[in-house]
Amino acid sequence: MIFFHLFIEFFKIGMFSFGGGYATIPFLYHISQAYNWYSLDELTQMVAVASITPGPVGINVATYAGLKTAGVFGSALATTSEMLPSLFLVIIVSKLLRKFSDNFYVKSIIETLKPISCALLTSVALGLLRPEIKDLKAMILLGLLLIMSWNSKKDPIIYIILSAIVGIGLTAFCHFS
Amino acid sequence: MSLIELFLIFTKIGAMLLGGGYVILPLLTSEFVEKRPLISHDDLIDYFAISQSLPGLIAANISMFIGYKLKGKWGAIIAMLGITFVPFWCIVLLASVLGTLTENSYIQGALWGVGIAVIALIMLTVREMWQKSNRNLFFYIIFILALCGLIFIKLSPIQAIIIFTVIGVFYKRFFEKQKGDQI
Repeated sequence: MIFFHLFIEFFKIGMFSFGGGYATIPFLYHISQAYNWYSLDELTQMVAVASITPGPVGINVATYAGLKTAGVFGSALATTSEMLPSLFLVIIVSKLLRKFSDNFYVKSIIETLKPISCALLTSVALGLLRPEIKDLKAMILLGLLLIMSWNSKKDPIIYIILSAIVGIGLTAFCHFS
Repeated sequence: MSLIELFLIFTKIGAMLLGGGYVILPLLTSEFVEKRPLISHDDLIDYFAISQSLPGLIAANISMFIGYKLKGKWGAIIAMLGITFVPFWCIVLLASVLGTLTENSYIQGALWGVGIAVIALIMLTVREMWQKSNRNLFFYIIFILALCGLIFIKLSPIQAIIIFTVIGVFYKRFFEKQKGDQI
């Protein structure tokens, strides 16, 4: 039964997430609340690991989530089901390439999906932020990371590594004082 | 080009992809336009634009477009398998190690920091999407309605996408299109 749910949930992600790997996070966030497959902490770990390993973040996260849920077979299933909708769509769209991008409804849907995707990610950011808001150290680190990217977003690896170092540094500081 | 060769090229690209789907364009240009003249640069740009507007992962979509163009259905499937090969095994191996490491208090400290970095990355992705969009009144209205729906009514992502896409397309069909027709 878990394989069936895994297939359905990741197929839905592949079908409904717009805007690349990070756009899958709202769905994974929803899954963590709807099923007991992984916790919110594990979700942020997954995203972090996905950002520092090669490959599209969406694939990495699907593999990781599948693994947490149902082992290696779960990873293969989650990854494949996430890409299955794309496979069908790519084959269909390839045949009517020009017509597709000029169609009024296709254009309207794409225009509408942009603000929706922004709203989805904003709500996840708020959800993840809420438990941290009373933690002064966390807020300072977050502020510094955002200031650092004032002009342009750096490579995601830099954020992950820098914050990991800060975390280790703080742990060491607590041990010795 | 054989399917095996196609698989190997995409495996290589999958292994070199770091930091999200946008990095894939230069890699594909080098493999399929410059080293092997199989796809025109214009086609590649078209595929990239359409991949961004289709659901799913941008990097996987564009790879499947190229696979399909070169080798039909099997080409698309092989491209999909190639691009996922290295990332898949990387995660499987890494995750098995990570589980045993999390007992350590320094690793826990690192994970605490990483959790904050992920929040920052998500916020920056929102900013990036925001900057790339054409922000008119329509954009703000849909954004605010969708955000309220997600936070207060606790809509699931799919419910939000379906409800607000229908509203948005209706709006465009009956208001903006008429405006356009009159001009």
